[in-house]
Amino acid sequence: MRAIIRIVRTSATTRPIATSAGLVVGVLVAAAGGCAPRAADHATRLGVPARPSDATPSVTGMPRLAGAAYHVLVASEGVDRIAHIRFEPGCATVPCARVTAESRIGRNPAEPAGPHGLAVSPDRRHYYVTTAHGFPNGELWKYTLAGDSLKGTVKLGAFPATLQVSPDGAYAWVVNFNLHGDMVPSSVSVVYLEDMLEVARIRTCTMPHGSRLTADGSRHYSACMMDDVLIEIDTKTMAVSRHFMVAAGGEHGMGGPPRQHGAAHGAGHGMETPKSGDAGCSPTWAQPNADGSRIYVACSKSSDVVEIDGRSWALRRRIPMGPGVYNLALTSDGSRLVATNKRGQSVSIVDVATGRELARIPTTRRIPSGVALSADDRYAFVTLEGIGAEPGTVEIIDLVTLKSVASVDVGQMAGGIDFWKMEPTG
Amino acid sequence: MSILSLAMLALLQQPAPAAPQSLPASPVTRIVVQPAARTVTAGDSLQLSAQALDASGQRIGNAVIRFQPTGGEGQAGIDSTGKIIASSVGKIPINVVALVPGTRPKFEAIEIRILPGPAARIDVQTPVGKIVVGQQLRLSALPFSAVNDRSHDEIRWTSSTPAVARVDADGMLSALAPGRAVITAAAGTAKATIPVQVLAATITSVAIAPVKPRARQGDVIRFSVSARGAGGAAVTGLTPTWTVSPGNGVIEADGSFVGYEPGDYLVTANLGARSASTIVRLEERDVRRSVSVVGRLPRTKFPTSEVWIHPNGTVAYLGTHGGGDRVYTIDISNPATPVIVDSIVANTRLVNDMMTTPDGNYMVFTREGAADRKNGIVIADTHDPLHPKEIAHFTEGVTAGVHSAYVHQQAKYGTHVYLTNDGTGAIHVIDINDPKNPKQVSEFRTARPDAARYVHDIDLHDGLLYASYWNDGLVILDVGNGVKGGSPDKPVLVSQFKYDLDSLYREVEQVSAPGFDRGTHTAWRQRGGKYVFIGDEVYRNGNVQGAKDAAANRMYGTLQVIDVSDLSRPRSVAWYKPENGGVHNYWVVADTLYMGAYDGGFRVFDISGELKGDLRAQGREIASLNTADLQGNVANAAFTWGVVVNPKDGLAYVNDFNNGLWIVRVNPKARPIVP
Repeated sequence: MRAIIRIVRTSATTRPIATSAGLVVGVLVAAAGGCAPRAADHATRLGVPARPSDATPSVTGMPRLAGAAYHVLVASEGVDRIAHIRFEPGCATVPCARVTAESRIGRNPAEPAGPHGLAVSPDRRHYYVTTAHGFPNGELWKYTLAGDSLKGTVKLGAFPATLQVSPDGAYAWVVNFNLHGDMVPSSVSVVYLEDMLEVARIRTCTMPHGSRLTADGSRHYSACMMDDVLIEIDTKTMAVSRHFMVAAGGEHGMGGPPRQHGAAHGAGHGMETPKSGDAGCSPTWAQPNADGSRIYVACSKSSDVVEIDGRSWALRRRIPMGPGVYNLALTSDGSRLVATNKRGQSVSIVDVATGRELARIPTTRRIPSGVALSADDRYAFVTLEGIGAEPGTVEIIDLVTLKSVASVDVGQMAGGIDFWKMEPTG
Repeated sequence: MSILSLAMLALLQQPAPAAPQSLPASPVTRIVVQPAARTVTAGDSLQLSAQALDASGQRIGNAVIRFQPTGGEGQAGIDSTGKIIASSVGKIPINVVALVPGTRPKFEAIEIRILPGPAARIDVQTPVGKIVVGQQLRLSALPFSAVNDRSHDEIRWTSSTPAVARVDADGMLSALAPGRAVITAAAGTAKATIPVQVLAATITSVAIAPVKPRARQGDVIRFSVSARGAGGAAVTGLTPTWTVSPGNGVIEADGSFVGYEPGDYLVTANLGARSASTIVRLEERDVRRSVSVVGRLPRTKFPTSEVWIHPNGTVAYLGTHGGGDRVYTIDISNPATPVIVDSIVANTRLVNDMMTTPDGNYMVFTREGAADRKNGIVIADTHDPLHPKEIAHFTEGVTAGVHSAYVHQQAKYGTHVYLTNDGTGAIHVIDINDPKNPKQVSEFRTARPDAARYVHDIDLHDGLLYASYWNDGLVILDVGNGVKGGSPDKPVLVSQFKYDLDSLYREVEQVSAPGFDRGTHTAWRQRGGKYVFIGDEVYRNGNVQGAKDAAANRMYGTLQVIDVSDLSRPRSVAWYKPENGGVHNYWVVADTLYMGAYDGGFRVFDISGELKGDLRAQGREIASLNTADLQGNVANAAFTWGVVVNPKDGLAYVNDFNNGLWIVRVNPKARPIVP
């Protein structure tokens, strides 16, 4: 597929967007709230050794890496393609973001595989993709990043969706969204990646969706769209340890797994505007901060984020967000929350300490979906699914200038995205 | 460059961090799985259990055991506790995983074979009337399980009166003395009997008819004998022993013969001491013809899916796949220059199937991959065939996706759409008598777990629905025919034809792995209900080792001709198995079958006359076309999806996944030039 680079209108003139080094120097927003990660944690995310401070910090106080290109991987569910994208801020020639390689996934082109979730291993040697459309169960696929070679697959549950690799690289945690058939409780799969073995399939609730691990990998959080519940899994025991009801007015946490609730809401994947008086949440993402003291749950129906105290297991507050808030990402220090607003066709950037929305940036295409942050917390890479035959798009937002700085089209229904690496340019 | 930048550059150029340390080795050295016999009967369930043992053979108490299938889920429902609900004959590869927290998991790969159940009925294949002393006749009978699988039970043959007619373990019947005997074929608790009358060896003459017939490869010739006894009286009701030589042909016990190669065959009928033979001369079938590409409409924006011709014969509809959200309307009034006039766009990324009502006023098409993941069908008004307009859609209960839809009209019940549910493998029947307000009237599911059920396609004639039910084979439902009292709102099972897919596609297991996906994919009823052509779609279990992607794979499949003259006993009588490529969608007009064979291109077959045996060996392929295009969606690669023959112009409208629409003429045979 040919990459298409969009021209973004920035002011009175239209020009190709390319960040310049000068644009970002001196822009500093002090980290506030949350807990700053240890330098070693951040170095792991960067893919570089821990290092001394740099003179040009980024929005979160982490050093900005001048002269670097950023690489992300994107899954396009509608066309069974994985795109490798390179973004070079301040590049001398446009396009600054482009598709450098594409590969196909699946066994038969006439039967859609539906790549949905994507994750890069912490050692950056492999990437993993969930394919949602099976007969009916889906799979997890393992590829090398060097050479893009398939290394193995493992069959999981129905419609495997969001995944994340544990910090030690040993396991992938995958929610089985189960969009097929009857509304019944589904599960979270745990896959040992060296041998591609599913070692646990933990029953949780109906339509488990966006999920994330704590930075130390000790706890896993997922949100169940049809049960208005957040699930916490103790990764050591691989069992549900707590759950939290997230519908407005009924927020409360309890130990152990939830009772089985009726699936009261129709499917819509965050696209349906709630009926008047509906206090439901329809959670689509669960995002802990680095030390797990806060968990943020995106309520796509009520368009807010529920902040839960990870220690007391109590509601802290509800943060208003854009319409149909969908996926979340948190900067390393927990100070900025980046959210895609599925119905609002926008991306919100929120100051976590105050709950204030710093910017709501309209996206160039419909249905914002996934979001991944660069290892230096400088850029948010947002997937835009589009509708029907519209291509998918990756839009790149500068978290300092709070502006969209580049975009690149990929295959249709772009969803799963993960940050791969930074590399020096020139 | 500043020092800082240099430092940063140095940091970025650091190698990636080392791979994470592997977890500590598992204390588990062995996993013992029970029961030791790794078989289960189709229709039954099996509970596996396992123990993790350490090096000293002691059970490790905190090892968590789980059972994980690595294929074959369409053949059984399997859960992590080792509970297997076996639905179809096949193989289930399973990893038994033992995990001791904090250590590497240990696993043992096992394979569960799902076997057919014991014989519940026996179908005698060899009708026997009268035989003659001295005659030997091979009897044949097939055992079937209670759920219609071909049982593996051996047939035990016995005779009520061995002094008259003796039968050995192989079913070889020997007529020894005049009289009557009852031959019994038994397997398990099932029995079938064959009454036999043995005549004295007083036959004086035997003759075969037809005599010295001439025919073509693949023509079925039904031979009979006439015999006379002492005094010249005709002896009727005889069952001769038929043989044919050389090979490359078959003759059945009822005297039906088909030869695969041109040449002479010697057909012999034996009645004890008397025999008669005749030569059969077979000429080449000589059906091979050239094709012409009359017109083309390459499509590269999306892969191409189904094609459909409006009843007016001047408009074609072409679906889009792999991100396609539309059905193109194409003016084909001049087939040499097909022109896209319009399209109907929907919330979908795959339109797999479409069909119009018989009057052409409405079209139904399927949706998969919707942006809001609420899939289903679209109903469009096609009073203006080139400009369809959506008037309704239906999603209730089928949001997982609809792959196929069939529109059927019955005088008594009106018009209904029969659609397949990707999520549950159910058939939903939707009343569209008011097309703007579709409503579901019934649902049908075969008896197996949802996760192991899949229905792919539907064909429907005279109130009989022929469902291609993947691992359940061909399922025939009464939806208004009346043979079983069915109606659209009450589908009733008529019969089912199952076959051993593992056995049929042993090659696929050999070149990939057990547990490969395969099943009955397409059905087409023909000749007023005598035959149903069924085709399989078969994939490897995993890509070719070391290959970059699935492009190195090939498809597999078989076309079978099922004789459904007796609806209660469908039986396979002929087959076509491609040397390369698959068997996808096909279309039948009179004596010609047109096929999209995936990577095997477009193929045309002569299906005239009675069908028996290996159709490929009989030289029945009329034409083929490699529908590839160097500028195709995938360069220089055919992936022929299917075909519709337009009654208006007799041309084949061939849709290729990679290369759009091809309009093809199968040229008449060239006439010899007479100077």
